Amino acid sequence: MCECCGNGQKDIYLPQMATITKHRMLNGTEFYMHLELDSGKELGHTPGQFVEVSIAGLGEAPISISSSPTQKGFELVVRNVGSLTKAIHKLTAGQKVGIRGPFGSVYPVELAKGRDLVFICGGIGLVPQRSFIRYVLDNRKDYGKVTVLVGTKCYDMRLFREELAMWQERKDMTLMETVDESHDCWDGNVGVVTTLIPKIESDLPKSLVLVCGPPVMYKFVLMALSEAEAPAKNIYVNLERRMKCGVGKCGHCQINNLYVCQDGPVFRWSDLTAVPEAI
Amino acid sequence: MTKPRVAIFDFACCEGCQLQIVNLEEEILDLIGTVDVVEWREAMSEQSHDYDIAIIEGSITRLEDEKRIEIIRSRAKILIALGACATIGGVNKLKNNFSITDVKSCVYGKHADMPHLDTYYTKAIDEIVPVDFKVHGCPINGREFAAIVRALLLGKKPFVPDYPVCVECKALENVCRWEYNEPCLGPIIRAGCEAKCPSAGYRCFGCRGYVDHPNVDAAREVIDKYGLSLDDLRTRMVLFGSKQGPTL
Amino acid sequence: MSVSKLNKQQFGQFVDAILAAGRKVVGVVAKNDRFVFNTLKSAKDLRLDYDVTILSPRKYVLPQVEPLLTFEVGGDAKSVKQNEPMILLGIHPYDLIAINQMDELFSEGEYDTHYMDRRKNITLVACDVAKASKNVFASSMETAVADKGYDILITDIGDAYLLDAATEKGQALMAYAKGAAAATAEDLKKRNAIQEANKTGLNKHKLNCKPSYLPKLMETAYNHPVWEEKARLCYSCGSCNQVCPTCYCFDVQDRVNWDLKTGTRVRCWDGCLLENFATVAGNHNFRKDRSARFRHRLYRKAKYVPEKIGGQIACVGCGRCVTACTADIANPVTVYNRLMEERTIG
Repeated sequence: MCECCGNGQKDIYLPQMATITKHRMLNGTEFYMHLELDSGKELGHTPGQFVEVSIAGLGEAPISISSSPTQKGFELVVRNVGSLTKAIHKLTAGQKVGIRGPFGSVYPVELAKGRDLVFICGGIGLVPQRSFIRYVLDNRKDYGKVTVLVGTKCYDMRLFREELAMWQERKDMTLMETVDESHDCWDGNVGVVTTLIPKIESDLPKSLVLVCGPPVMYKFVLMALSEAEAPAKNIYVNLERRMKCGVGKCGHCQINNLYVCQDGPVFRWSDLTAVPEAI
Repeated sequence: MTKPRVAIFDFACCEGCQLQIVNLEEEILDLIGTVDVVEWREAMSEQSHDYDIAIIEGSITRLEDEKRIEIIRSRAKILIALGACATIGGVNKLKNNFSITDVKSCVYGKHADMPHLDTYYTKAIDEIVPVDFKVHGCPINGREFAAIVRALLLGKKPFVPDYPVCVECKALENVCRWEYNEPCLGPIIRAGCEAKCPSAGYRCFGCRGYVDHPNVDAAREVIDKYGLSLDDLRTRMVLFGSKQGPTL
Repeated sequence: MSVSKLNKQQFGQFVDAILAAGRKVVGVVAKNDRFVFNTLKSAKDLRLDYDVTILSPRKYVLPQVEPLLTFEVGGDAKSVKQNEPMILLGIHPYDLIAINQMDELFSEGEYDTHYMDRRKNITLVACDVAKASKNVFASSMETAVADKGYDILITDIGDAYLLDAATEKGQALMAYAKGAAAATAEDLKKRNAIQEANKTGLNKHKLNCKPSYLPKLMETAYNHPVWEEKARLCYSCGSCNQVCPTCYCFDVQDRVNWDLKTGTRVRCWDGCLLENFATVAGNHNFRKDRSARFRHRLYRKAKYVPEKIGGQIACVGCGRCVTACTADIANPVTVYNRLMEERTIG
């Protein structure tokens, strides 16, 4: 029996409240927050999933979960693109947002065990990928070589800088970073993220490759991966669409026959060959 | 929280849109309760130069009005264009179809050259200064205006439809005016009016301006299917569509 | 269950008795020279001889604007339901089938309590089509008659109505029918003749294949030139979505009251033909070509939705989109027939 609607079914549109425990700006547009559900329960997500975040009165938006389920609470990164996200940016510790979810498909955390993993992240694509990367690092012995490629448009927009610096130091993973535009403070790689693909040391045809980035990135990355003979069945993409309801009803996130909010956001690339709207 | 200070100004217009605000009746009290109206010639005698939100009705038709709107813009944090004259130039733009000398002599006769009658081509507000929000329509839809104000007070981007009038018209179960062979502008005009004209048995006159990407090519071909000519459509677009946006 | 017979006067009394009992009845009434579903005030307004209504009864099953939650701005929310009991009277079989499909779509996967709780309180009284509308093609879609999914099915057999109460809800409503007689074999023969005639007679646009073939047909049609050719004239006005009995896409909006402290989260009809249907925050439009939006609708009807609900085609042949489309491009039969003729292209 459900308290909210008086019958056996819960209201799929009713958010639960969560409280912000920590927050900071990651760059000029990206706001990071750590949250805990007011129910005291854990969110119970698997890397790759998203939640619908709302401030009642301003609306609701799909946001990728950036933290690993191995830690307490959960973390979200919100880009300032509209009224809702602008209002989220103004929130401080102790304030609340509504949360629905977690929704959607997950990264292949089990299947990936024992395999070499290559994460290719473009811009805010690092945000959902970080959930799986941290999960892998927390269960490091279960996985093979870990390579993380991070491409950012410009130096000032780099996300999770301290964390990237820590990853850079680790001996049990390889981080390669690049920025699209050169900058006085940057002496690393310059160029789009695809330029890093030939530098990958893992055996690409045998690795699992996880890709997330802006819409324009996929075509080029997938082309480069194909040239490097990474098979489509080993590639996973994490797609963004207008996931309005999150529960496979409203139709906004559809790519051909698939609902990104339910069948995705994580797709095996070989499952998308007959889905021309995907990329 | 201090209430935002609101000033309402009018330029070349019939003031009918301000009247729509007054006509909100019960809601006007809610509105007055949430904002501090510091200047509104149609409803009060006080004036002020200190305001956050400027609401502008009317179009710009004289050089001195350009200066006035620039001053208002410099004082306001948010500038809202109210009604078709302000958002698209409105009916006033009809005169842009003629030479200004002809217009002046036709309207003012032998007084046409008097300095206080010095008028030029009509401009919408955003042809002079940046406009933050537009409340479309001739006249405005009071309910839409109220929703826009509430959204702004919450710091939220107001919802203004980007789809054609047909959406609202169909929802109201009107019979399409085209079924009566009447060239209705609904398919290319922005919704938000709740399809008032088609609901009353008239075609859409186009007072809210075009949608972002009107399919003008379609309009040109579809008119043929109905045995009408392009001129039948053009003449119906003159009233609000003169020298504005896509032309057929 | 047995079929009852009421003469026309008794039928009027039946409807008036339901109204007198304070039940909300939504029935088909005239609006100028057309018909609409509206709250019924008296049996004499009911027009079971209608051809088609401007909008389908979807507007009562999935309201145009429906509150989901009430909230405190920036705070907590609670569920609200719009589920007033009502009797939908005079639904044509094609519209009935559309409602039955929507029941499946809102209960499969994540169960939508807002829709389903309302739906459970609605009694569906269907009626066989008495007059073909100008664009109906239900015969082609095999939706011209219905043998299930209704609580009561009404058939006008000339001097009387036959009422077939198929469920407990329907049986309960029959308690208001005074003087009902059991239908005779002769009456049932008349009913059968009407239904058989409708199976082929509601066909102003003839689909050149069985509807069950459509998902297969669409497998090779994705790059056919017809999408671009038709969509060139598309106004992106969404009229075809609005009038469609099977369209159910929606938007969700927060509406705030004048106190600026409380408000309602509502869902409202949306349409996949509208320009910004697939636009995300930051203004990237994932379906920005008219032709892609036009194609998406016809793929949803013929392939995507059927895949979700056991192969049922999500076009029921009501013909409303054909009437509603100013540019005359929306007719699904024209497109599907073209694809049939040119199966090798694309």
